[in-house]
Amino acid sequence: MVKRVLNLFKRVGKKPAVGLTPADVVYRENKWRLLRYRPSNPMHPRLDSPILLVPSLINRHYVLDLMPGKSLVEYLLALGYEVLIIDWGTPTAEDRFLTFDDVCDKALGRAVRKAASYGKSGKVHLLGYCLGGTLTTIYTAVRPQYVASMVALAAPIDFHDDGVLAVWMQNPKFNVDAIVNGYGNVPWQLMQSAFQMMRPTLNLSKAIGVLDKAWDDPFLDGFFALETWGNDNVSFPGECFRRYIKELYQQNQLVKGEFRLSGRPARLADIQCPVLAVTFQHDNIVPHVSAGALVPRVGSADKQQWDLPGGHVGAVVSRKASEGLWPALAEWWRQRDEVARAQ
Amino acid sequence: MNLNVWEQWKKGYYTWEAATAQLIEQWIRSPLVLGPSGAMLSAMMKVKAKRNEKLAETWGNLGLPTKRDQERSLHLLNQLHSRISDLEERIESLQK
Repeated sequence: MVKRVLNLFKRVGKKPAVGLTPADVVYRENKWRLLRYRPSNPMHPRLDSPILLVPSLINRHYVLDLMPGKSLVEYLLALGYEVLIIDWGTPTAEDRFLTFDDVCDKALGRAVRKAASYGKSGKVHLLGYCLGGTLTTIYTAVRPQYVASMVALAAPIDFHDDGVLAVWMQNPKFNVDAIVNGYGNVPWQLMQSAFQMMRPTLNLSKAIGVLDKAWDDPFLDGFFALETWGNDNVSFPGECFRRYIKELYQQNQLVKGEFRLSGRPARLADIQCPVLAVTFQHDNIVPHVSAGALVPRVGSADKQQWDLPGGHVGAVVSRKASEGLWPALAEWWRQRDEVARAQ
Repeated sequence: MNLNVWEQWKKGYYTWEAATAQLIEQWIRSPLVLGPSGAMLSAMMKVKAKRNEKLAETWGNLGLPTKRDQERSLHLLNQLHSRISDLEERIESLQK
């Protein structure tokens, strides 16, 4: 036990190195940037369509490139795939006026078109994680022309699920207008404390878990990297948040087919490209009921849902993911790319 | 520390944690908690918005641009940047 404690103390004050895979900024607008990862295996055959990763607006992009050995990006690059990612950046006070359409249509649309220019097909394989998955779903429903396939990774689709967040947002006393008018951008501290309230004992459990495995250096590296990411959140642009909560969380417009992006209807049935929804059975942020609502509603002939064990973050970045989920995703893209090439 | 004692303690802790988490979840879903806490948050936000409004009014009366004015100007600049990028994209596609 003493050795474990000493091992933990050695790490105090050291910042874990995260998001290390080399990338170039190929486009930048306002706060967001489009990053293109440098190929690590140029000899390997590539996909005709690059992969564009779309993270959540409220988390940093590097969760998908956490650290060497725990990076989906690194894994895909080793296979010779072209990978780009959106870094949404940190909104500042003036971004309170950014609307949902600005983010989901203008910014994501531009990123998709820029990313598509790096492939032979003129399209991209989109992967959206969490809220990023909601954005990619809405975008694909409205502007399918540049999308070769879509993966929604733990993406909320049906907002009237049985999760705690859904209950809170539908509370008649929850006044989103008051929050946006008072704060402008919704501060990350407010959102983080809401997530912590969902399981207040979690931090204590984490401390016990880390003490228990404090002899295991690779475990500690991964744990502190993930904690760094988990505490490195960004605020939500105010107007965008207002619409997200009102029209998606409270009115559930996406599954009802009533949501509109830049005035155009975003109907899930209009999505025709290959679709994969990955849901996690122990996800308490996006319950699998919510994420699983996508596949039955899209119009695609080629659609699948993988319902996997695990939680919202761990199941995406764990060692288990590197042996199961990542190779399966890579194979899923390879097959869709081959089918598209043959057509 | 004896590892058996530690293992026993952990077992006890995890049992307590699971039961507590379940109880807390029931509590935070209850309208008895959600109603007053939602109302309190809304009231605090309304006070904050009113205070910001009054401050801006005072600032504006001195003939100075308010924080909101600056935010709007910066946002407009960002919108202009976005539109220029739209035009550049169109020109590129026409040139192809």
